[in-house]
Amino acid sequence: MADAAVRARRSGRRPSAKRGIGPGTIVGLLVGVLGLASLFAVRAFTTRIDGPTLPDAAQDLLTLTYSVIIESLPFVLLGIVVSILVQVWVPDRWIVKVLPKNATLRRVVVSFLGMFLPVCECGNLPLARGMMAKGFTVSESMTFLLAAPILNPITIITTHQAFGFDDGILVARLLGGFAIANLIGWLYSKHPDQDSLLTDRFAAECALPDPHEQRQTKAQKSVELFVRETGVIMPALFIGALLAGLVQVLVPRAVLVNLGSNPIWSILAMMVLAFVISVCSNVDAFFILPFASTFMPGSIVTFLVFGPIVDIKMLAMMRTTFTTRTLVQLTLVVALVSAAIGLVVNYVA
Amino acid sequence: MWRSAMMSAVWRWQGLALMTVSIVVSIWLAATGQLILYIHPRYVLFTVIMAVIGLAFVVASFLPRASHDHDERPSGAGAVFSGVATAATLTLAATLMVLPPATLSSATADQRGINSTGVRTDGASVDDVASATDAAVASFTVLDWASLLRQTSDVAFYDGKPASVVGFITRHPDDPENMFYLSRFVITCCAVDAQPIGLPVYLENWEDAFAVDEWVAVDGGFGANPSRQGTQPIVLVPADIQVTEQPTEPYLY
Repeated sequence: MADAAVRARRSGRRPSAKRGIGPGTIVGLLVGVLGLASLFAVRAFTTRIDGPTLPDAAQDLLTLTYSVIIESLPFVLLGIVVSILVQVWVPDRWIVKVLPKNATLRRVVVSFLGMFLPVCECGNLPLARGMMAKGFTVSESMTFLLAAPILNPITIITTHQAFGFDDGILVARLLGGFAIANLIGWLYSKHPDQDSLLTDRFAAECALPDPHEQRQTKAQKSVELFVRETGVIMPALFIGALLAGLVQVLVPRAVLVNLGSNPIWSILAMMVLAFVISVCSNVDAFFILPFASTFMPGSIVTFLVFGPIVDIKMLAMMRTTFTTRTLVQLTLVVALVSAAIGLVVNYVA
Repeated sequence: MWRSAMMSAVWRWQGLALMTVSIVVSIWLAATGQLILYIHPRYVLFTVIMAVIGLAFVVASFLPRASHDHDERPSGAGAVFSGVATAATLTLAATLMVLPPATLSSATADQRGINSTGVRTDGASVDDVASATDAAVASFTVLDWASLLRQTSDVAFYDGKPASVVGFITRHPDDPENMFYLSRFVITCCAVDAQPIGLPVYLENWEDAFAVDEWVAVDGGFGANPSRQGTQPIVLVPADIQVTEQPTEPYLY
C-alpha cells in the first residue's frame, strides 16, 4: 500500500518536474512570495509597538546573539552556495582527479584549497560536507575544514593589516594553521573506520546514492541541497550563537585580561577567549589587536590559530557532521598544538 | 503516527524557517539603516547580496519537489534534546522577528571593562593635534580623546582645546557620585567584538539630572581632576550637557 502511495506521488510529481511550469509551480511561487511579504510586513509593523523594555543584561544577550547570527549569515549562505556548485554543477573529474595520488600530498594540496574558495569557517562546514558527499575521505575534508579559515587570502590580508610582520605573528599563524590541519588529517587518515567519525545522520546521507537523483533537474537538486544544508546548519548556528552570547554576558572580561602578562596563563586565557568569542577568522585579527599591548605575542598567535578551528559556534556546527568523541579528540589535539606554538613564540620572540 | 509525521516536517522546515527569518530581518535592517547595530558597515553590501541570493533559494524551495520522506528522525533522549533545542531556536527566531533592534548597553560596557583592553592608537595622535585647527579638534570623537588621554596626561597639552563629544553614560568606579564615563563602543567586525571606551567626566551629583545609559552631548574642556578620589589625573569638565537622541551610528569604528 505504501508502495502504491509512493508510486502515485512519484507519477504525480513527474510531469511538473519535466515541464517546469505547472499549476503547482505557480501556487508554490505565490505561497513563497506572499509568505515572505507578510514576514517583512510583520517585522516592519512590530517595530512600531512599544513593548515592555527588557533588563539591560537580557537585552544585551539578545543583541550579542543576533550579532553572531547576522554576521555569520552571509558567510553561511556563501558556503552553501559554493557547496552546491561543487556538488551539483562542477564535474567530478575537475576536482577529485586533479589531486595527487599520494595521500600526504593530497592533504597538502587540499589544505590550500581555501586560497581559491575564500569562505571563512562558518561557510567551510557546508563545503567540507559537500566534499565528503563528493568522494573526499573524511580526513581530507577535515584537513580542508581546519586549514581553509587560516590559509585564505582574506584572512592573510586582514592579519597582515593588523600586525604586519611584527613578532612573527602572521608567519606563525599561517605555519601553525597549516601544520595543525595536516597533523589532524594525518592522524585521522590512520583511523581504520573513517565513517565512524561521522554522525549517523550525515554518514547515511553520504552513503546512499539519492534514489530520486535521476529524476531531478540540476536546479531542483540545488534547491533540495539548499533546504537540507539549511536544515542542518541554521539550528546549529542559532544554538551556537545563543551559547556564545550567554558566556559573553556571564564571564567578566577583566578575569581574562588580568592573566595577560604571564607566558603560560596568557596562552590559556587567549584560548578561553577565542573559544568564547566565536568571531570569524576573516576579522579576528582586528578583534585581537587592542589586546596586543597587554598580552604576549605567543598568546596572540594561539588565539589566531586556535580560534578559527575550535570555538563554541564552530563546535555546535561541526556536531552536525562529526561525532562528539571525534570533536573532543580534535579539540584536545588542536588546543595542545596551538598552545605549544604560542609557547615557542613567547620564548623566542 | 501523525506526531512522527509532524516531527519530521518540523525537522525539515525548522532550518528553512530560521534561514528565512534571518534573511528577512537582515534585509529589513539594511533597508532601514539599522544593520550597523550588529555588524561593521563594510559588511553591509556583502550581507545584502548574499541575503538576496538566499531569498531566491527560499522562494524556490516552495516549488513542488520530488518527494523525500527518508529524513531521519531522532529518537529517545536525542528526541527530547532536539525538541528543546528546536523550541529554543524557534523562540529565538520569533524574538528576532518582533523585538525592536537595540544597541549594547552599559551592562556590557561594565562587564567588559571600559578602556580595559587598551584603546586603539589609530585615533588622533599627540603630534597631529599640535598642528590641528580648532575646528578639527572640535570634531574629535570619544575614540580620539580616549586615545589622546592614553598618550599624555600633561594638563598644558589640553589647555585651550575645546571638546564637543557625544556618548552614553556609564558609571565611573572611582567617584560614582561626581564622575561618570562618557562612553561609546568601538567595533571591528560586529557587536560581538565591541570594546567599550570612555572619557572620565567630572560633574557633581550628576545623577540628579542624568541617568545611566542616557545619551548626552557634552561641550567642555579637559583639565585636572577636581575629584579627590581615584587615580584619573585628567577629566572632561563640562561647560554644557544636553540629553540627546542616540546617534544613527551608535558605534565607532
